Amino acid sequence: MTQLAESPPATATDSLPDILRAARDELQADTLAARGGSESLARYSGQIDRIVRQIYRTAREETDAPVAVVAVGGYGRRQLCLHSDVDLLFLFGRPIRAADERFLKAMLHPLWDLRFDVGHHVREVADLREADTDNPEYLVALTDARHLDGDAGLFEKLGEVCLGAKAAWGDAMLAALRDLTEQRHAQFNRTLYHLEPDVKSAPGGLRDVSAVRMIRRLRRPAVRRLYIPIGRVDEAEDFLLRIRSIVHLKRNRNLNVLTHDLQDAAAGLFGSPTDKLERQAEALMSTYFHHARIVNRALGRSLRALDGGSREAAVAVTDGLVRRDNEISFVDATRASLQPHAWLRAFDAALDEDCAVSEQVLTCIYRHGDRYAPERFFPSTDQLDVLRRVMRPRPGLYARLSQMHDCGLIGRMFPEFHKVYCRVIRDSYHKYTVDEHTLQTLRNLESLCSPATRSRRRFANLLAETPDTDLLALALLFHDVGKWTNRNHAEEGVRMALGALRRIGMPEEDIATIEFLIRHHLRMSTAAFRRDTADPNVVKQFAQLVGTEQRLKLLCLLTLVDVSAVGPDVMTPWKEELLWRFYVDAYNRLTLGYGDDVIDTAAASLAELHASRPADVAPGELEAFLDGLPERYLRLVDAPQVYEHVRLSRDLQAPDVHYTLEQKHSAWELAIVSGNQPGLFSKVCGVLSYFGMDILRGQAMTNRQGLAVDVFEFTDGERFFELNPEARPMFTELLADIVAGRKDIDRILLPKQRGLKRRAPARVRPVVHFDNAYSERFSILEVVAQDAWGLLYRISRVISQHGCDIEFVLISTGTDRAIDVFHLTRSGAKLAAGEAAALQESLESLLKS
Amino acid sequence: MKLIKAIVRPNRVDEVKDALSEVGIPGMTVSEVRGHGRQRGHPTIYRGSEYEISLLPKVEIEVVLPDDLVDDAIDAIMNAARTGEIGDGRVFVIPIEQGRIIRTGERDTV
Repeated sequence: MTQLAESPPATATDSLPDILRAARDELQADTLAARGGSESLARYSGQIDRIVRQIYRTAREETDAPVAVVAVGGYGRRQLCLHSDVDLLFLFGRPIRAADERFLKAMLHPLWDLRFDVGHHVREVADLREADTDNPEYLVALTDARHLDGDAGLFEKLGEVCLGAKAAWGDAMLAALRDLTEQRHAQFNRTLYHLEPDVKSAPGGLRDVSAVRMIRRLRRPAVRRLYIPIGRVDEAEDFLLRIRSIVHLKRNRNLNVLTHDLQDAAAGLFGSPTDKLERQAEALMSTYFHHARIVNRALGRSLRALDGGSREAAVAVTDGLVRRDNEISFVDATRASLQPHAWLRAFDAALDEDCAVSEQVLTCIYRHGDRYAPERFFPSTDQLDVLRRVMRPRPGLYARLSQMHDCGLIGRMFPEFHKVYCRVIRDSYHKYTVDEHTLQTLRNLESLCSPATRSRRRFANLLAETPDTDLLALALLFHDVGKWTNRNHAEEGVRMALGALRRIGMPEEDIATIEFLIRHHLRMSTAAFRRDTADPNVVKQFAQLVGTEQRLKLLCLLTLVDVSAVGPDVMTPWKEELLWRFYVDAYNRLTLGYGDDVIDTAAASLAELHASRPADVAPGELEAFLDGLPERYLRLVDAPQVYEHVRLSRDLQAPDVHYTLEQKHSAWELAIVSGNQPGLFSKVCGVLSYFGMDILRGQAMTNRQGLAVDVFEFTDGERFFELNPEARPMFTELLADIVAGRKDIDRILLPKQRGLKRRAPARVRPVVHFDNAYSERFSILEVVAQDAWGLLYRISRVISQHGCDIEFVLISTGTDRAIDVFHLTRSGAKLAAGEAAALQESLESLLKS
Repeated sequence: MKLIKAIVRPNRVDEVKDALSEVGIPGMTVSEVRGHGRQRGHPTIYRGSEYEISLLPKVEIEVVLPDDLVDDAIDAIMNAARTGEIGDGRVFVIPIEQGRIIRTGERDTV
């Protein structure tokens, strides 16, 4: 703020109403030119000083007591607006007597006559012995105490208790500030992103600016080394004051809420006349949030610094990082400033340790971030792995992402995201800026880790059984970046996200999942809330769009957290129910109904597969292989995998099996092609169990020629394949022996099974359910059971023992349960009721044991 | 003066609103409600288990209108909300004794 020279003393010819009128006229003119900021308010406050001094000269005659007239609060800061209260402190040098009461009346009555709202405090010098902790507002207002007139010596004494680094009341004043700030922020739900914000009291508003200044001015040891970009805070304050002047002028009262009407009015005063008003208002609010964020950040840092100070010994948590006072810090900030690729690790460590990231780290990133291009944050796949860990939904995710966003790290790593920084889209339902809306979606995802309602628990279960939660979180991060423009934001978002994800080296198959989620992020809410979901075609079309139940789960969760983040009351229990029902219908379509949708080998949709066909795969061979497989197969595997499966299908002599085994990230994938032999599926499951593999997902399908294509995804918890060079030949040999009937899998597994008899009781109630109606061609068996060693092998063995053919299988494994869906036939037809009942009974008995 | 209370499928609301506007009824109150009729909800199997044969999400539309518009309004709602399947909803007509406009205190004649 510019410090102005003391205002000239009033001359005898100036009447008080004249001075006031002239001052108000000037301020109004400045306000209408959008210049009612710091300088203008300081000039206006100077004129009020003249008035108070003139009144003092007359009132002084009423008493001979030493007295100082002091401006406090906003008036002390020279920030009086048109309708602000005028806060005054009268400090007497001795106990107050009757004459002093007359003096006070002579001071206050003229001010009241001028229609000022006066907040006055009367104190004796003896009151300075002890801080008035019962009156926190008073203590905070003293920070801006300014001598107006009267006894300068008394003001000096006041200064000793409340001004500067040596202020005796400093600690009490800061405690009062902290309490008041906490209460005030709670009133605003601790967010600054209100569509109609209170420019004075909301987080990031003018009271917060004063709080930042107060903490700086009192300079406790803990904050002396704190870096605050005070120039930016000054700019923010000036902007907020200019807005507040407009609000006071237009409302003609001491009100500070920037309503939609006033946003238009203010935008009209600020903006260029050529722009549309709507655009001007959006731009104004973007600027508002930008400044409020700077203030909020500065206050947050100041308050944290007050708490800080080294009290605990530092504990090394990982390379270059320590945990101290419940925060993660760099061991060497100077060195860290040269290693942008290591910054993300601080947030990862904070999430692991369930604590915050320190001011030292945030300041380092804030100050040095703009030196580095986005590529510098991801020099190798190690950093991508860290990012994927950071993005996994867990407690603290929102808080750490907010820190990352506030210090500028997200925007530096992903300039795509920075394009929606404080972006305002003015519509009737969104409550937050685009970037904050995005972070709120991730906050909602995090909250599913500990769901608050029964309704939410259903969705929380989906999250718990979804392995790709980091991809979901990344899709959320980018889902609205396209909103920087007014074009189709989903498509624009896809374009931007693809650039970002390829830059950081994300594998293409994961990019495809994220791309799908961003492109279609509005589809599920549109279908669930606006379409006739009782129409099987609506469900079928949606299921075709989604393709697999994994993607369905991701899209369902994305929809839930996205709609919930629009505003607190937007995702009603009513809408949650609609979304859930639609999810179930689509899930059933994908898991129970897919068997009826067989690949049409004459369809145009295969053109792409033919076009990229390698020379060694003949068109007829490809078509014969695909004939009879469900369409689902093409959604599960990409073109190179199809060709590989075709090659595996060559020269198969029963009981041969041809297979590929590949490591994919943390899991392995086994693809087997064989003649459809009875019990094959069960045998493969048995071999995987024998080697201690944990089956995560699997598909088994049969084409028209009776060729079986089984794809298993499993984890090798004991790193058998990785650590033993001879593991693969052993695996191959046993598989071949079992399939050819040279060895009996049941006998091999028996000793292991015996060892499992003394298990803990099951937490998941087993379910065996037959549906003979959903599919035209198959009896569908759904089994849900607690995941256990060899479960799939034992279930499929019972099915085979009942003479049933397993045509298709879907296997998925959640946190603690296995969900298996079998498409069965017996002698080429659906099971008769009695056959189904007998199988059901056997399976129930198996699962109970 | 009558109150029409219609319970319809959520996805038919816009059609019902438009149909009511066409017969000259601009004002209405729309609420998200849950309930079931004779079919007692719609049992759904999820992962082999039947879950919550309970309350279906529906939308309730309330309209206050003069007696001579009642038949047109009912026809408009029925045509716009009908799919022919179970769960299309209900329309009720209830007589109203009196209405007041809060701002002016006038009697509401619709």
